[in-house]
Amino acid sequence: MAEPALETEALTRRFGALAAVDAVSLRVERGAAHAVIGPNGAGKSTLLSVLSGELRASAGRIRLHGRDVTRASPDAISRMGVGRSYQSANVFAPLTCAECVWLAAQSRARPAMAFLPSAERDAAIAARAARALEVCGLAERRLVQSAQLSYGEQRQLELAMVLATDPALLLLDEPLAGLGHDETARVVLLLRDIARDRTLVLVEHDMDAVFSIATVVTVMVSGRILETGTPAAIRASPRVREAYLGEDEA
Amino acid sequence: MNRRVRVALLVVAAALALVPLIADRFWVQFAAKVMISCIFAASLDLLVGYGGMVSLAHAAFYGLAAYLLAGLSNGAGIAALPASLPLCLLGVGIVALGIGWLTLRTSGVYFVMVTLAFTEMLFHLFNEAPGLGGSDGLYISSRPIAQRTTVYVAIWASLVGAYLLLERVARGPFGRVLVGIRINEARMRTLGFPTRRYKLTAFVIGALVAGLAGYLDATLYGFVNPAQLGWRQSGLVLVTVLLGGKGTLYGPMLGAALITLVEHFAAGATEYWGTLIGAIAIATVLLLPAGLAGVLQGTRG
Amino acid sequence: MLDGEMTLSLFALQLLNGVEYGLLLFLVASGLTLIFGVLGVLNFAHGSFYMLGAYLAYWIAARSGSLFVAMLIGVPMMLLVGWVVERLAISRLYSRDHLSHVLLTYGLVLVLNDLQRFLFGSDVHGVPTPRPFSFGIALGEAQTWSAYRAFTSTICLAIALAIRQVLLGTRFGMRVRAGATDSEMVEALGIDVRRLLSILFAAGTALAAFAGMLAAPLTTVYPGMGEGVLIVSFVVVVIGGIGSVKGAFVGALLVGIADTFGKVLLPGVSSAIVYAVMAAVLLWRPRGFFGQAAR
Repeated sequence: MAEPALETEALTRRFGALAAVDAVSLRVERGAAHAVIGPNGAGKSTLLSVLSGELRASAGRIRLHGRDVTRASPDAISRMGVGRSYQSANVFAPLTCAECVWLAAQSRARPAMAFLPSAERDAAIAARAARALEVCGLAERRLVQSAQLSYGEQRQLELAMVLATDPALLLLDEPLAGLGHDETARVVLLLRDIARDRTLVLVEHDMDAVFSIATVVTVMVSGRILETGTPAAIRASPRVREAYLGEDEA
Repeated sequence: MNRRVRVALLVVAAALALVPLIADRFWVQFAAKVMISCIFAASLDLLVGYGGMVSLAHAAFYGLAAYLLAGLSNGAGIAALPASLPLCLLGVGIVALGIGWLTLRTSGVYFVMVTLAFTEMLFHLFNEAPGLGGSDGLYISSRPIAQRTTVYVAIWASLVGAYLLLERVARGPFGRVLVGIRINEARMRTLGFPTRRYKLTAFVIGALVAGLAGYLDATLYGFVNPAQLGWRQSGLVLVTVLLGGKGTLYGPMLGAALITLVEHFAAGATEYWGTLIGAIAIATVLLLPAGLAGVLQGTRG
Repeated sequence: MLDGEMTLSLFALQLLNGVEYGLLLFLVASGLTLIFGVLGVLNFAHGSFYMLGAYLAYWIAARSGSLFVAMLIGVPMMLLVGWVVERLAISRLYSRDHLSHVLLTYGLVLVLNDLQRFLFGSDVHGVPTPRPFSFGIALGEAQTWSAYRAFTSTICLAIALAIRQVLLGTRFGMRVRAGATDSEMVEALGIDVRRLLSILFAAGTALAAFAGMLAAPLTTVYPGMGEGVLIVSFVVVVIGGIGSVKGAFVGALLVGIADTFGKVLLPGVSSAIVYAVMAAVLLWRPRGFFGQAAR
């Protein structure tokens, strides 16, 4: 069987006595669009934070393309090709869109620490940054300060920044939260596009979007995995319905 | 960068270059002192204005370089510039690497306090260690440059060089990353930047330029004393950075020039000049957070 | 020192001195750590309040003949001073960055230093040990421990317990503790909060000043005394963890004992001992013993 892009083994994260993530053993196949859903407080965001290295695991292991990254720092994990987007816009408020994606793109520059400008390298970075902005529909707004963007645009900038790092694996935390109808449709298309040649781990509440994008769905409740399966299987599962979807989703 | 500012800086540089030709001895030395304080302030701006690292250890590197020169000159007879300057800077660099590595394990208020503590440690070391002259300090037996005008030229050249270097560092890719780290370090980490390494690099670069300023100070006056290392000095140079306008490089230089002027004339006028400096610090924080550079650019903070 | 040999009673003496110094440090550091933790303000002027307390104690004691009278008058005065400083200056810092905190309070230090010199002069002053406590408690055969030090230790310990009681057992204390772990939440709680912050700052100021008063007979009263105590208090707060009074207590005792033994055993490098301890703690726990973990 092909090596999974991401795999966790009894991954646990405790805050005091509370286990926000409780013995989660997850397997994300390469190229999958793997959605993680569940009621509020299920530990989904915490899980993403542990996967990205921002929170240290209390117990268990994380393997990225077969490599143990349980103790790795967030920047090391990012450099291994992981991109993370946040639920609330986590951009650089005083900087313009262009400057924000520039930073993201610069993170992949070689050498990483540069004092002198180099025409070739800088052009490559600028190109990547511009492409990311364009894909996310922000090309026109590139000189606008991030703090001045609308909420929806800030979420798009979030995505653009992640894309500018050219990640093989994306950890997305509710990318559709708070978006209007049109924006949602646009981002869903974008995500489906991204999912084509990358691996996605997507935490979302918008069920239509999830079933539209995802190839695998995992349901989390109270920090634990309840069930994993194809979108159709999950939709039909009585356990999931009972725990989460409520009476009338079908 | 602002065209007007560029032009203004060129004019100032030219004017400073002319000082030894037209001014009397006192003003030449005073201008030299101002230029040294400008180098010092600009070096701190890299840390504070660009990197967001409020370091109270900066004066430690200034004083350390001065003491190293004293040690080399008095103890080993090495005073010539080509030998003593690299050695002093090497010493400062090593210490800065050590202190930076340790203090940058912390952030926020911890970082401020820890840098203060290390400054005090060095201060105590130089104040109490036998043979270092105690609180009276040391005279430097033979200086790298003795001739007055040559010293001035060396300081002038150092100012121009240091400014150009700092500008390259701050406005190039490295500086932009540093600013990103200042704004949102956690995000920079998840974007893949080893942020501590960047901060440490900036810390050491700033320390080296501060060391250069300290070296020049010792060369100018031929004298070192522990007060150069203390937290008061560190606090004072921070005042100049804020007063002038952090994150601009030229702002802190302006602030340094002003404070040096105030210090000099107020100290002559009253024994309570500390209150004046204190009042300036408080007023700057409350009324002029963007500093004078902010005023010149039309923003007040 | 008898050839570096430490007899039991000498050891006990140094230990007691270390504890006493640590407890005094705790008074200063507890105010500092709460001001950091709840108000979120880096207060450099904290040491100046210690110094002002000491000078006030000297001045009033010299005129009234009693250190206790000085404390009785001085502490309320310093409470008022703290209140005024908070209302006028510190409250403007709540939404500002660290650089602003450092520079405003640094400016305050310069002003307060000059104020002290203007009011009390630059001389060093001795303050006589209060009569009831000017005797020694015997420790073994050769050593005696100053009864006054025993007194200050007891007072500091009592205050420490009182602080603990307030923090754990009152609504005010609950709000303070909540704020110490999340100063944003304090802002969200409403207008009442401003009074809480003023009270806290005034209390912290008074604690530091009171420590200065207690210390006056032991250390003499001199212009630079604030700075030394300030920096050591910073070390204590770093070691103990910001916002943690428990941490301040542990850190203060650790520093007090380490410093006292350091001065006796390694007189040349004694001042460095404290910083060495800090460096060691930082290597192991960058946020102090009881500070919040980084990840």
